[in-house]
Order: sequence, then C-alpha cells, then structure tokens
Amino acid sequence: MKFPSPLSPIHDALLTGAAVWNSADSLPPSVSQFDASDPQKAALLGVADHSHLPRAGVKGPGATGWLAELGLSLPSRSNSWLPFPDGGLIGRLGNTEYLIEGNAARVAQIMQTPRAPGVYPVLRQDAVFALCGSRVNELLLQTCNVDFRCLVADPTQLLLTSMAGVSVLVLVAGNKIHPVYRLWCDGTYGLYLWETLTGIAEELGGGGIGLDALP
Amino acid sequence: MKIMTCPFNGPRPVSEFFYWGEIRPMPDPATCSDESWADYIFNRNGAPGVKQEWWCHIASNTWFIAERNTEKDLVLRTYLFEEEL
Repeated sequence: MKFPSPLSPIHDALLTGAAVWNSADSLPPSVSQFDASDPQKAALLGVADHSHLPRAGVKGPGATGWLAELGLSLPSRSNSWLPFPDGGLIGRLGNTEYLIEGNAARVAQIMQTPRAPGVYPVLRQDAVFALCGSRVNELLLQTCNVDFRCLVADPTQLLLTSMAGVSVLVLVAGNKIHPVYRLWCDGTYGLYLWETLTGIAEELGGGGIGLDALP
Repeated sequence: MKIMTCPFNGPRPVSEFFYWGEIRPMPDPATCSDESWADYIFNRNGAPGVKQEWWCHIASNTWFIAERNTEKDLVLRTYLFEEEL
C-alpha cells in the first residue's frame, strides 16, 4: 500500500502490545490509544506521535507567489502559521519557506503541481509530537530554554528553538486552558527525542499516549 | 546563561547558535601578492576588540552578523547581512 507520507520515524518504538492503531484515510498507521491509562497520563503529561500526517515544504523567492496562485491563504509574517478551514495548517518558517501539513489532497496538489521559477521543494520527513498536560512546563524546564507559554498569548506564532539538543519547530494548538504543543524535528532525531520526552514524562506521572487522548 | 539575540527569532541562549568566525574581506587572488593571500588564508587576528562575526541560529538556520567586543565579552548588536547592504 502506498501512503502519501512515510511511516512515522518512531514507528518501531510505538509497537507495544497494548497499542490500538488507526489506519484510516489511507494514511500511515497512527496510535490512537496506548493503553487504558491514556486519559490519566494526558491530564498530567502526555506525549503523542503525530508524524503520520502528510506534509510538504517549499522554499525560495518564488514560493509565496506560487502558493498564493494555488489558492492558499498564507501567513503574513515570518514565524507564524494558519490553520486551513478544512483541516491541516500552513506555517511560514522564514521569509520564503513554508510547511504545509495535514490535508492529504492539498499536500498532493503541492507536490504534483509543476513548480514556478524560484520555488524549491523541501523534503519533510519530520517526527512530529504533541505535548499536553498540567505538568508540561516541568518537562520544558528540563529540556528547553524557551517558555512555550508565550505561544498561548499569541497562538499564531511559531517558535524555532532547541529541545534536548534537537532543533524543533513549535506551535500551540488546543485552547488556553489545555494547550497542546506540537513539535516538529528532523526525523532522524525522532527516536531520541521521543525516548527523552516520554522518559521525563513517565518520571512526572505521564508518558506516551495515543492521539485519541489529546484534548 | 549567555544570551545572543537572533535578528529573526529574538533572544536565545547561546547554545542555540554556532560561531563562524570574524568577517574578513577576501583580497582578489588574481591581483594580490602571495604574502597578502597567504595572510588571508592562514592567519587570524586574535587581538581582543570590537569584531564583526558570522553567527548562525541553528534551529532556524538564520545567518547573521554579531558585532561583539571580545575583550569585554559583550554583544553590541546583531543584524542580518542584508540590512547593511
């Protein structure tokens, strides 16, 4: 079966006996539930894998105009993002670089449309994680030098920073009471970051969770 | 913790950056003397003072210039290369 995006970079680490998998919508399989304690872990500190979502990246001086011609609403400033009304998001990672994620048809359109001059593809094989729970800031204190709560004040902002020594892109989803931080990192660092984050989360009473447990 | 201010991403710990050396104008290898070319290739100025240096914010791959007093270990200002053109 050909997926629009590859398996999660941490797929093998997710193969635990109790995990419930979701393989709908022709997407690569994702873990919808690790075990029955997911809701309790999510309330304290949950780490979920979002890497299965299709994504595409483009950059270059012609990228902004080319994406606009495709009918996409683009973030007006660098280091910001916009959700698409029908699901997914587009992030502006610099003056001329974009990340599009979440909607398989849109990602396929971007990857298959002939590119204009000055538009270059960016290979996106990221590991993508979601962090949630009341103790998430305790995890951030141990792994990161930026307080992600600044994202809650400005939810359209993107942060590019370093977490446990790995370069990550961060945004906040969810709501102000139950923020969910989403992280993108290079897929080759995915297993290391997953094990680091879930290890700390387990010390704090949480751990790896399925996507169904996210607020 | 030392803080460096990326012109694009704002103040960040210096561990998020790497340093790429002092900005040194390259002489024209076709016209300069062997001595000045060898000086450019092999020698670096280690004297403390105010220097302009290349730095990069690793997480966003943002290259910029930091004007730094290496004697007092002070970052005087940071800016993108394009801003000075």
